[in-house]
Amino acid sequence: MTKLFDFKQVFTNIPELMEYLPITLELALLAMLIGLVLGLLLAIIKIKEIPVLKQLAAFFVSIIRGTPVLVQLYIVYFGVPMFCKYLNQRFGTSLAVASIPGFAYAVLALGLNSSAFSAEMIRSALMSVGKGQLEAANALGMTYGQALRRIIIPEAMTVALPTIGNSLISSIKGTSLAFTCAVVELTAQGKIIGGRNYRYFEVYCSLAIIYWLVTIVIEQILKIVERKLAIPEQVENFAEQQDEAQMGDGI
Amino acid sequence: MSLIEIRDLHKQFKGNVVLDGIDLAIEQGNVIGIIGPSGTGKSTLLRCLNQLEIPEKGFLKLQDKEIDLSSRKNKKEILELRQNTGMVFQQFNLFERKTALENVEEGLLVVQKKSKEEAREIALEELRRVGMTAWANHYPRHLSGGQQQRVAIARALAMRPKLLLFDEPTSALDPEMVGEVLDVIRQIAAEGYTMLLVSHEMAFVRNVSNRVIFIDKGVIVEDGTPGQVFHYPQNDRTKEFLAKMHMLEMEPEYSI
Repeated sequence: MTKLFDFKQVFTNIPELMEYLPITLELALLAMLIGLVLGLLLAIIKIKEIPVLKQLAAFFVSIIRGTPVLVQLYIVYFGVPMFCKYLNQRFGTSLAVASIPGFAYAVLALGLNSSAFSAEMIRSALMSVGKGQLEAANALGMTYGQALRRIIIPEAMTVALPTIGNSLISSIKGTSLAFTCAVVELTAQGKIIGGRNYRYFEVYCSLAIIYWLVTIVIEQILKIVERKLAIPEQVENFAEQQDEAQMGDGI
Repeated sequence: MSLIEIRDLHKQFKGNVVLDGIDLAIEQGNVIGIIGPSGTGKSTLLRCLNQLEIPEKGFLKLQDKEIDLSSRKNKKEILELRQNTGMVFQQFNLFERKTALENVEEGLLVVQKKSKEEAREIALEELRRVGMTAWANHYPRHLSGGQQQRVAIARALAMRPKLLLFDEPTSALDPEMVGEVLDVIRQIAAEGYTMLLVSHEMAFVRNVSNRVIFIDKGVIVEDGTPGQVFHYPQNDRTKEFLAKMHMLEMEPEYSI
C-alpha cells in the first residue's frame, strides 16, 4: 500500500525546484524595479499636481488596484500581442510578436501591478521629508530634480524601506502566477513535478518551505540595510591636522 | 548704483495682503535690519526675493538685469537669483541625512559643480568661520539648535552669495543659544557682507545693522540709520511698536 503522505518526497523535491529559484527572483526583482521607477513617476505626478497626467495616473492606479493580478497577467499576455498585430496590420510594421518571451509579459504585468501599489507608498515617503529641506535646497539654487535626487529621495528611502520590503515580498509571491504567461518558475515547476508523480500535496509543501525561507532571508537583508542606512548615534569629533584643529576651537 | 533694487512688490495669501508695494534699493555693504509687528510680511519679503514665494507683482534688478518676480516661466533667472542670494532659515533646514560638512559642501558640488577637494576645502573654511570645525562629521540630529544654525550659516556663506537673507535666525532657539548665533552674524556683518536681517532681537538689530527698515501692514514706513529709526522715529506706528518693544527690553532677562 502506498503511503498517504510521503514525508521524504517533500525534501527530495527541493533540489529540483531550487533550479527555478533564480527565475522567480529575477521576475520579482525586475517587476519590483519597474514598480519603483514607475511608482516614483506616479508619485511625483501626484505631488506636483501636473494636469492631465494627474488624472491619467489616478485612472491607471484605480484600474490596477481594482483588478486581480491573475487577470492583469492574462490581459497583458493576450493583449500586447494583439496590439502588436493591430499595429502590424494598420501601419505595416513588422513587430515580431512571436519572439517576445513570456518572461517579458510577466515582468511587465507584475511591474505595472507593483507600481500602482508603490505609488502611494512612495508619495507618502516623499511627503514625509520636511518641506524645509526642499526650500533649503532650492535656496541654494538646486533644481527640483537635483533636490529630489540628492536630498529628498535618500531620506524618503529610509522611511519607505520597510514598506518596500513588504512589496518585494508580495512581488515574490506574485511571481507564482507567472505560469499564466508560460514562464516556468518555482510554482510552475512544482506543478510539473506534481503532474509527473501525482504527489501534488508534497510538492506544494516543498514550495511553501522554499518561499518561506526566501522571505526570511529577505527580511534579514532588509534589517541589515536598515541598520546601514540609519544615522549613527555617536560620531567622533572631526580632527584635521593639529594646528588647524586648534584654530577651529571657539569662535 | 545699487546692488539690488526691488520695485513694486505685492504679495497676498488668499486675499490677505501681506506685501503691499515694497520698493527697496540695497546698496553694497548694507546690513539692513528689518523690524515690524508679527505678520507684516517681513519674512515674506525675504522669501519673495529668492522666489520661495512667488508674488503677484514685483521686479528685481540685479546687475543691470531686471527679473520679473511674478513670472513662473523664468526658471533660469530664478536659479541665477537663488545662486546670488544665501538664505538662513528660522528652522535651520539642514539636510537631515548629511553631516555638517556634507551640508556645507552640497551646494558647492551640485550647484557650482566644484571638485570634491575644492568643495571640502571651502566647506571646512566656512565651518571654521562659524566655529563648528570639530562637529564637521556630526549629523544635524546630534547638534543643538544654535550649532545647527551656525552650520546653516556656513552653508549659505560657502556659496559666496552677493546678498545674505536671515529669516528670524534666532527665533527657534533656546535663549542660551541665541548669543552664539548672533555672535556669528555680527562677525559676518563686520566682514562687509551685504545682508537683510529679519529679527525680533531689537538690541541686536540696533547694534549690528547700518540701516533699519520698519515694515507695517505690507509697506515700508520707516527707513534710516539705526539711530534715526530707534531714537527719532517719524511714523506713529513705529513709535508705538518701539514703545512696546522698549517695555519688553526693560525686563533684564531679555537683555543680550
